[in-house]
Amino acid sequence: MATQLVLEKWPGLISTVTLGAKKEEGGSRATTVKIGGENTLPLLFNEGNIPNKPAIAFEVWDIPPEDWPEELTKAYGKVLNDPFAWADKCVNEYKAQALCLRMQGTHPDFGDKGAQEAAKFVSALLKKVNVPLVITGSGDDAKDNLILPACSEAAKGERCLIGSAVQDNYKTLVASVLADGHSIIAESPIDINIAKQLNILISDMGLSLERIVINPTIGALGYGLEYAYSIMERARLAALSGDKTLASPFICFAGQEAWRAKEAKAAPDQGIIWEVITATSLIQSGADLLVMRHPAAAVKVAKYIDSLFINK
Amino acid sequence: MDKFKVTFYPDNKTVTVDKDKTILSAAISAGVYINSACGGDGVCGRCKVIVRKGRVESQATGAISLEEKKKNIHLACSTIIHSDLEVEIPESSRLNFDKLTPEELEERLSGLYSKAEDIQPVRTKLEAGVFKHSPFATKLYLELPKPTLDDSISDLERLYRALRQLQEFPVVQTGLFNIRQLGELLRDSDWKVTLTLGQRDDTVEIVLVEPGDTAHKNFGLAFDIGTTTISGQLIDLNSKKILGTKATYNQQAAFGSDVITRIVYAGNSEGLEKLHNAVCDTVNEIIRDLVSEHKIDLNDLNCIVCSGNTTMIHLLLSVDPAHIRKEPYVPTANFLPVVRAAEAGININPRGLLYCVPGVSSYVGGDTTSGILSSGIYQKEQPCILIDIGTNGEIVLGNKDFLVACAASAGPAFEGSGVTSGMRASSGAIQKVTINKKDLGVTYSTIQDKKPRGICGSGYIDLISSMLEAGIIDKGGKINAAGKRIRSTDLGKEFVVCFKDETDTGSDIVINEADIENLKRSKGAIYSATAILAKHLDIELSKISKFFIAGGFGTYLDIEKAIRIGLLPDLERSKFVFIGNSALAGARQVLLSNQAMAMADKLALTITYFELSVDPKYMDEYSQALFFPHTDLARFPTVRF
Repeated sequence: MATQLVLEKWPGLISTVTLGAKKEEGGSRATTVKIGGENTLPLLFNEGNIPNKPAIAFEVWDIPPEDWPEELTKAYGKVLNDPFAWADKCVNEYKAQALCLRMQGTHPDFGDKGAQEAAKFVSALLKKVNVPLVITGSGDDAKDNLILPACSEAAKGERCLIGSAVQDNYKTLVASVLADGHSIIAESPIDINIAKQLNILISDMGLSLERIVINPTIGALGYGLEYAYSIMERARLAALSGDKTLASPFICFAGQEAWRAKEAKAAPDQGIIWEVITATSLIQSGADLLVMRHPAAAVKVAKYIDSLFINK
Repeated sequence: MDKFKVTFYPDNKTVTVDKDKTILSAAISAGVYINSACGGDGVCGRCKVIVRKGRVESQATGAISLEEKKKNIHLACSTIIHSDLEVEIPESSRLNFDKLTPEELEERLSGLYSKAEDIQPVRTKLEAGVFKHSPFATKLYLELPKPTLDDSISDLERLYRALRQLQEFPVVQTGLFNIRQLGELLRDSDWKVTLTLGQRDDTVEIVLVEPGDTAHKNFGLAFDIGTTTISGQLIDLNSKKILGTKATYNQQAAFGSDVITRIVYAGNSEGLEKLHNAVCDTVNEIIRDLVSEHKIDLNDLNCIVCSGNTTMIHLLLSVDPAHIRKEPYVPTANFLPVVRAAEAGININPRGLLYCVPGVSSYVGGDTTSGILSSGIYQKEQPCILIDIGTNGEIVLGNKDFLVACAASAGPAFEGSGVTSGMRASSGAIQKVTINKKDLGVTYSTIQDKKPRGICGSGYIDLISSMLEAGIIDKGGKINAAGKRIRSTDLGKEFVVCFKDETDTGSDIVINEADIENLKRSKGAIYSATAILAKHLDIELSKISKFFIAGGFGTYLDIEKAIRIGLLPDLERSKFVFIGNSALAGARQVLLSNQAMAMADKLALTITYFELSVDPKYMDEYSQALFFPHTDLARFPTVRF
């Protein structure tokens, strides 16, 4: 008699978030990216439906990054000084599905660009590239509250993913995202309860849970990866068990974290390996959207994803 | 070494202190009371004094504003004396040891005994039938046959023989004091005497022999030794009648508002003695008032039963509580033998007995045992919960087969301490609040309808619930609205509940985001302890058949609002039962029946203490509870904002 596999069925379903809007949807993107939508644990294809592959967004900054290690800056070369050329290179040369724009130049310590300038920049970038955009602020709450609404308005209708909303500062961003038809990144400090609370607070303001992507905050390999892994796993188990307030896809800033590790800078190629291992581990814990830095690492991870989904 | 003279006004008391002492320590040496909720850590800001003359050095603290600094206002606890001083203690920093007014007493004790019986006739019935009347001290009038040559047994044996003819008493001792005067006393009283018999575990002591028939004068006292309030009842042990009840603040409050600061204080030189004296003074004052009001002789008070938390009982008996605070949190004793009240410094009949209801552990004390006894949860078929919401909340889950207790450190926010406009539930405290959703206008009621002075615990619960309802705060507790009542401060945004022109104090009554955070932690601690206890025993909260709420705070609590903010679990409302001051009720039962006393001993042995801090799931439960009403909204199905 053939062995019968015990299959686990879950009542819950992760919501599907679409990044980017095509012309007929009121935007100007040539492509869109869907993330989430699974009703089973990562990669258990036999147990449920995993309609969307994990996606990768390339990180692009509005100013030349000061703290990136040489191995990383070397990969992009001169384009780092020109965000439009940088974005263009990611899309055309590395075939990026999406870009994650970091508005670092608006930070009071790194240029202090104003809201108008930021909005103009986003409009220009949207004209330059036609893939979906993730837009993040500089991490300075007060400043983000000024510039992100402007960026949101500039990108109105393009269905961007904008962040980050945090527990102590989410209202301004939620209001903008709600008005301009985007989705939001809800960031919590590796804490499943805060992740859930923030989702409730955001949905209380009228933004539906289907427009939230959780940034659970992750650690790189050797820097708390397993902690992030278990938090993501717990959140996913709760969501699949029927908790709608946690049933959002995950966005993970793998590149940012991996390149902070001192090991990533210790020997040639090691940084790429660090970023790849961090990203692939996160895929196994449920990451739906990875924000990556090194093109070689991103390409490797994209290949890995394709091989995982070969039978799909 | 330099010595300085410090004079305190308006008390006009002078004390000489060593260099480098603080004003607060000088005040304590002078026997002048200054409010000091934090026990001198410089955080509560309650000990503000005005330095009229002399040099001092103050540590910088956020509690003193620039304006106050100009007026020479300093925190007594963090100000070092550098010369002879004249210090004025303003009204706001004085501890008001006046007895509670009759109205306040009414408020504080409402639901206590007679009131609770009005509210809960069912429970009263239960109580009446439980224990047979056999008080802690019994008086027996005996007429002894005079000795003859044929009947020449000794005086003492004659006494025993007469006793045995009535009933077989296992007399253990009589006391040399009684024996020494027995011969004279029997003959002077023509062999007609009254014995006072005291219970000592399973045996009986002849406490006192008095001439003539005084059997009708047999009184006892039941006391609840609370960290904040001490209540006492005078009871006629023959008729079981409560003759009077009094309550006043525990004078130990001068040395810190919670048990931990008092334990720390007890470690100072003479600290234990001062704390012991403070609690004895408070108890004796209540006794004095009770006896004078009811025209009873102190010598007719034959026994006293006290229930209190473990630390309070240690301090009452002048036993060092130091180890309660240190891992692994072991008290000197949970079970204390019956002792003479006089040994503990309590003024009743010098040979009168004192019994302290036994505790379970360092943080689950005899007050909880009393609560279990008086709520009767140890007899219930179905699992019940007993909860005492205080600075140190105690939670008991159990039925006739098992009892498990834990202590949740909730902090003093619900007792009105550590929050900007907090106060105790006394005259002028805002206790009910409603907020108009449209214009955010506030309607409130205060205790005794006085001009508002602050907000008490139940007022805070109402306020937070109303603010959630009106959308002023989000479920995380952040202020989320704009209007003339909302202002930005260093401590985050604040909401003005009453503007200063309406208040008694002349200052605005406000709640800020830090206060809300504080109250959120308090309610989170209580709820999560309840939830984890149930989870640990694998009992769903919905299966709990009765939810008893004890303590003065419980009496004013609006169940609906308490559920809305997530303090109490979302159960059928009919399951909640207020039982008032169950510590006092339990003490009274013990006083009136040796069966109850034996049961208290048995219960204290039966209760399993559950240490929350060692449960790895507790932190997770706790952080889930830091949300209004709860991160897991499914647990509060009836709550919608």
